[in-house]
Amino acid sequence: MLAYITRRLVYGLVTLLALSIIVFTLLQLSGGGPLDRLKLNPRMAPYIQALTEQWGLDQPLYKQYWTWLRNYVSPCTSTDPQGCTSSFGLKNAIPIIMLVLAIAATAFVVYSVKNHWRGALVLLVWFVAILFAFRNMSIAFNWGISFQGAGPVWDLVFSRVGATFRLGFTALLLALMVGIPLGIYQAIRQYSFFDQLGTTAAFVAFSTPIFVIALALQILLALKLEQWTGVKLFYVTGMNNPGYGEMSFLQQIADTLQHLTLPALSIALISLAGYSRFQRASMLDVLHSDYLRTAKAKGLPRRRIIVKHALRNALIPIVTLVSLDVAFIIGGAIITESIFGWPGIGRLYIVAIGTVDYPVVMSIVMIIGIGIVIMNIVADILYGVMDPRVRYD
Amino acid sequence: MTEPLLKVEDLRTYFATEEGVVRAVDGISFEMRRGERRGVVGESGSGKSVTAMSIMGLIEPPAGDIVTGRIVFDGQNLLELSEDEMQSIRGGRIAMIFQDPMTALNPVYTIGDQLMETIVLHQKVSKAEAREIAIQALRDVQIPNAEHRLNDYPHQFSGGMRQRVMIAMGLSCSPDLLIADEPTTALDVTTQAQIMDLMLHLAEDRGTAVMLITHDLGVVAGFCDTVQVMYAGGIVESGTIDDIYHNPQHPYTWGLLGSMTRLDDATQHRLHSISGAPPSLIKLPEGCRFRPRCQFATDICRQVLPVLRPVGNPGQMAACHRSEELDLKALSVDGEVGAAASEVTS
Repeated sequence: MLAYITRRLVYGLVTLLALSIIVFTLLQLSGGGPLDRLKLNPRMAPYIQALTEQWGLDQPLYKQYWTWLRNYVSPCTSTDPQGCTSSFGLKNAIPIIMLVLAIAATAFVVYSVKNHWRGALVLLVWFVAILFAFRNMSIAFNWGISFQGAGPVWDLVFSRVGATFRLGFTALLLALMVGIPLGIYQAIRQYSFFDQLGTTAAFVAFSTPIFVIALALQILLALKLEQWTGVKLFYVTGMNNPGYGEMSFLQQIADTLQHLTLPALSIALISLAGYSRFQRASMLDVLHSDYLRTAKAKGLPRRRIIVKHALRNALIPIVTLVSLDVAFIIGGAIITESIFGWPGIGRLYIVAIGTVDYPVVMSIVMIIGIGIVIMNIVADILYGVMDPRVRYD
Repeated sequence: MTEPLLKVEDLRTYFATEEGVVRAVDGISFEMRRGERRGVVGESGSGKSVTAMSIMGLIEPPAGDIVTGRIVFDGQNLLELSEDEMQSIRGGRIAMIFQDPMTALNPVYTIGDQLMETIVLHQKVSKAEAREIAIQALRDVQIPNAEHRLNDYPHQFSGGMRQRVMIAMGLSCSPDLLIADEPTTALDVTTQAQIMDLMLHLAEDRGTAVMLITHDLGVVAGFCDTVQVMYAGGIVESGTIDDIYHNPQHPYTWGLLGSMTRLDDATQHRLHSISGAPPSLIKLPEGCRFRPRCQFATDICRQVLPVLRPVGNPGQMAACHRSEELDLKALSVDGEVGAAASEVTS
C-alpha cells in the first residue's frame, strides 16, 4: 500500500512537471506579454527596460522556466513581514469539516459491518489533522511576485483560498445531500412520475449555463423577493457586509449565510443535477445485478436489500466522482465568483490571465494540478477501502 | 396419495413490452411431491426460468405480471400471500440457486456475512449460532477450512466454489423445495459433475424436493426422477425419466433426444438438430406452437392447440394430437435414439 502510494506520488510529480512545462509554453505562445499594457503608457517608457531585466523577461525561455521552477519549490525567504505569511483560516474550513463529517457518518451507517467503521474513523482523524496542520502552517513557498504589483503570489493565492473553499465545499455539500438521495430514489422508482420529473429537471439544470442560473437566482431570490416581501434575505455580492467584525456571533453567521446562499446554490444546482443522474444510473446497474436477485431470493425485506446490498455497491463509483470534483473546487468557480463578486481564486485566475500575470497564472494552474494528482490517489485508496476486490500491491 | 408439495395450476405470466405482450409462461400446470427431483427442460425462452421466478414471487409488476393461476405450496396459494408472508417463504422454505455463480454473490460482503444473513433471518438464531450453522453448511458442501473461508470475499473463490456457497446458502435453512436454475451452465464440465453429485447427495439426505431447470438432458438423466419439457411457454411433455427417454410422445422431446451428444456413441453419425427457431412469444402461431418446426404436422395441428393429456406410459403426459399414431420410440432421427437414451439413464 505504501509502495503503491509512493509510486503514484512519483508519477504525479512527473505529471506536474510536464503540466508546468506545457502551461509555461502555452503562456508564451498566447501572445502579448506582461509589459504590453505598460508599454502603451508613454510615461512608463523609461521603466520598461528596468522591469524587463528585473523580471528576467530578457532571459532565454528555459532560464525563465528554471527560475520559476526553483522559486516554486523553495521556501519563501522574503524579509518583508507582510510577505508569504498567509495561512488558511479555520472558519473557511467549516464546510470541509461538515463534508468530512457527513461522509464519515454515511460511511459509518453504510459499513456498519465490523472493521469498516474504523477505516472511516481513521480517515476522519486524518482529514482533521491535515486541516489543523494547514491552519498552523508556518511554511510558505516563494511563488514569486505578481507582475501586476499585487504582491507575493503566495499571499495573493492564500488570501483567496478560504473564500473559494467556503463557496466550493458548501456547494458540493448541498449537491451531494440532495443529488445522491434524489438519484437513489429515482432509481428505486424508475419511470415513475417523480423519476420523469427528476430526469427532466436534471437535464434542464444541467444544460442551463451557470450565468443564467446565477442571474435568475439573483433576480428571483434577492431582487423580487425583497420587492414582494420587503425583507432582504440574500445578498448578491461579496462574502460579508462591511462592519462584519463588529457584529455579534449570531449576526456574523446570518450575514455569512445571506451572502453564501445564492452563489452556492447556483453551483450546487448544476452539480446536483449531475450527481443525481450518475447516482441513478449507478443504482439502476446494481438493482439489475444478479446478486440483488439473490438477495431477493433469500427473502430479505426490501429496505434491507436496498440499503445493505444495493446502496453499498452503488456508492462506489460516486466516491471517485466526488474525489475528482473536490480537486476542481480548488481552482475556484470563475463565472460564479465573477457574478457574485466573490473574492476567490477563480476571479484572481481570470484577472491574472487577462493581464498576462505569469507567476499568478502558473501558481493557480499548479495548485489545480496538485489537487487533481492528490485527489486521484485519494480516490483510488477510497476505492480500495470500499471494494474488497481492489488490492494495491 | 398425500397432498403434493407444490401444485401449479394454469399459471400464466406475461410481460408487457413495447412490441406487445410476451406470453412467457402460458397456462402451465404440474405437481411436485415432497422429495421429488424434477427436471424442467427446454431451450432459451421456453419459460423455464419465468416459471421458477413466478413460484418465488420475483416477477415484479409493472414489467411482468402473473395473470392467472394458482401456485399452491404446502396447502397455501403463494399468489394470495402478502409480500411479508412471501419473504418468510423465500429463502426459508423455497430456496433458489442461480445460473452464474460469478455474479450471484454480493462482491462487497464476506461469504460468511451473506450466509449468516439468511440464517439469522429465517431461523431466528443469534449471530454466534448462525455462524456455527454457516460453518456446518459450508462443510456440507465440502468447502475445506470452512471456519476460515467464512471471512473471505466472493472474489477469493473459484466458480465451482461459489456455486457450492450458493448451494450452502440455499440449503442452510433446510427448505422443502430448492429451485436450481441452470446451476452448472456457467461451470466447466468436471466441476459440473461434482456440483450435481453434491446436490444429489444433499437433496437425498435431507429429502429436499429439487426443481432443476436446465437445457442439458444429460444432467437431467443423472439427477431427476421426473421431467417436464417446455416449449414456447407451455409444457409439451412430462413423465418419469424412463418415460421421456425411452418412450417420448412428443416430436419436440424426440427431437431433443436426437440432438444429444454421447461419448459412448461408436457410430459416428451427424448430430440431429431441430430446424427453425422457437416462435415469438408475442405472436404465437395458431394451433400447436411446435407445428412450424414439426415434421409430422397435419391440418389439425394448424388449427387446434393441443392440451397436455395422458398418453404413453401411466402418468406420462404429452401435448400432441398425433402421439398415438406416431411411434416415436421406433422412429429414430437418424440412428438409434432409443438405444442412446437407455445408455444415458443406466
